[in-house]
Amino acid sequence: MSKVTTLEQAAAQVPDGATVAIGGLSMNSAPMALVRELVRQEKKDLTLVAIVAGMAVDWLVAGRCVRRVLSGLVSFEGLGLAPNFRAGVQSGRVAVEEYSEHLLICRLQAQSSNLPFMPTKAGLGTDVLGLHTASGAVREERDAPSGERYVACTRLPVDVALVHAHEADERGNARVNPKLVWMDNEIVNAAARTVASVERVAATEAFTAEPERTTYPRFMIDAVAPAPLGAYPCSSFPDYSHDSEFFTAYSQAARDRGEFTQFFRERVVGPETWEDFLDANNAATGASA
Amino acid sequence: MSTPVPGYDCTMDELMVVAFSRAMSNDTRAFNGAVSFIPVCGYMLARRTHAPDLVWAASSIAVDADPDEIGDSTLSDSLWGGASMLSNSPFDFWTYAQGARYNTFAFRGAQMDACGNVNNTVIGPYDAPKVRLPGGGGMADLGTMIPRIYLWSSTHDPRTFVERLDFRSGIGWGDGGDHRERLGLPGGPQLCITNLCVFDFEPVGKRMRLASLHPGVTAEQVQQATGFEVVMPEGAIPATAEPTAEELRLLRTEVDPTSARLREF
Repeated sequence: MSKVTTLEQAAAQVPDGATVAIGGLSMNSAPMALVRELVRQEKKDLTLVAIVAGMAVDWLVAGRCVRRVLSGLVSFEGLGLAPNFRAGVQSGRVAVEEYSEHLLICRLQAQSSNLPFMPTKAGLGTDVLGLHTASGAVREERDAPSGERYVACTRLPVDVALVHAHEADERGNARVNPKLVWMDNEIVNAAARTVASVERVAATEAFTAEPERTTYPRFMIDAVAPAPLGAYPCSSFPDYSHDSEFFTAYSQAARDRGEFTQFFRERVVGPETWEDFLDANNAATGASA
Repeated sequence: MSTPVPGYDCTMDELMVVAFSRAMSNDTRAFNGAVSFIPVCGYMLARRTHAPDLVWAASSIAVDADPDEIGDSTLSDSLWGGASMLSNSPFDFWTYAQGARYNTFAFRGAQMDACGNVNNTVIGPYDAPKVRLPGGGGMADLGTMIPRIYLWSSTHDPRTFVERLDFRSGIGWGDGGDHRERLGLPGGPQLCITNLCVFDFEPVGKRMRLASLHPGVTAEQVQQATGFEVVMPEGAIPATAEPTAEELRLLRTEVDPTSARLREF
């Protein structure tokens, strides 16, 4: 049976209250078309796992879909703080469980390897570990024979991973070209289900002809949602870069509540289809600029 | 904004890049994180001057990148031109970092303390922050893994350089003294380059010590702009060395012709 579906149907498989891991890194390779659809479907009480993120988290917080964020970093880099994330946390509406990149990677690796914990030296001597004393999610320990200190990162169960890839076939084989997958492998491997948005659907023969280029085998991908420019306004290397103009205009609008509501409606959630959204933002021009 | 340095034929951003560049040795193997224009310029300049074998992985991904120009993000593909390898994050990058195959990393924080620890998480209490900042990202990780840590700040004032951090997102010398050693961590912060001066770290207590003053700045002014007590060295404090004409030419024409570094000012 074909795993190819629509963005709408793929997003509909994400239940309220789910733990959703978002792929990409900062302005790179984020699954924005899927994220937009979650916002349009008014998901509630999501827990986000966002190792290094920005616009995806900000859209979901703006759409009031989020209860908790497990993150290393959420920002627009030099283009500013993520405005809705910042306001949501400062108002107490959104809780942040701060980790760091490697602490989250290790929790995901413990999950995917079916081990009680994955050790790392990340976080030693920082205040990050103290945030997790009560839950025990990550904890400082000492290896008895060597006396070495390390941090034990316990399993992190993920309901759904959302990633963006270049191509997939109907069976769910998917690839990122080149294999520049940031931490997406970690979230895919840890998640019970993975939905991939893709720039295009390819024939299975394209995968069997060059199997060394496959990034995810079909048994790791549960749904494939075609979305050309599906990472916009983030990048999908090497096809297109992030669109700085969108980030700047979004941040500008966020300075005023009314202006932002209008911006969010007209340029993010309002457009009916992904193609309408791209048109509303002149994305074909902005992304290649 | 580009500010002239009194008596030198350069601006403050250029002085900071050159100071950073000169601190790099030929065996430097570095990578960069977000909003790291000064270090990125520093690595590219050092490689063109005294450190031809320096390794720099742009955005932690693109090994030996040599972009024509620097874009508006130091984590994006705009920085990857000319790379000999696009490395993969969990398998390549994190292994090289954990094994200290990469030996150099630079970070900055909204707050920094005397021992070079940084906060990029919250201003105010964690649970009820006055300002929610982006988060530490890889600071908590790389501060424990990488032996040569460099800090920089283009906003040297008492709000940035504080006696006590609101949150320690990344470890520098920790509580000072032998704290890193007790935690089993390699090396530690080497220098902190600011828009007023260069600090090194006093070898026993591991607190910031005034190493050089930028032209026109006095030790008293540095102390006034710093929320903790600055360690003063014995003897006269030198001026931060003047960039050479060749360093400035390379920086202006080859390394960063569009002055992306000014995004930090």
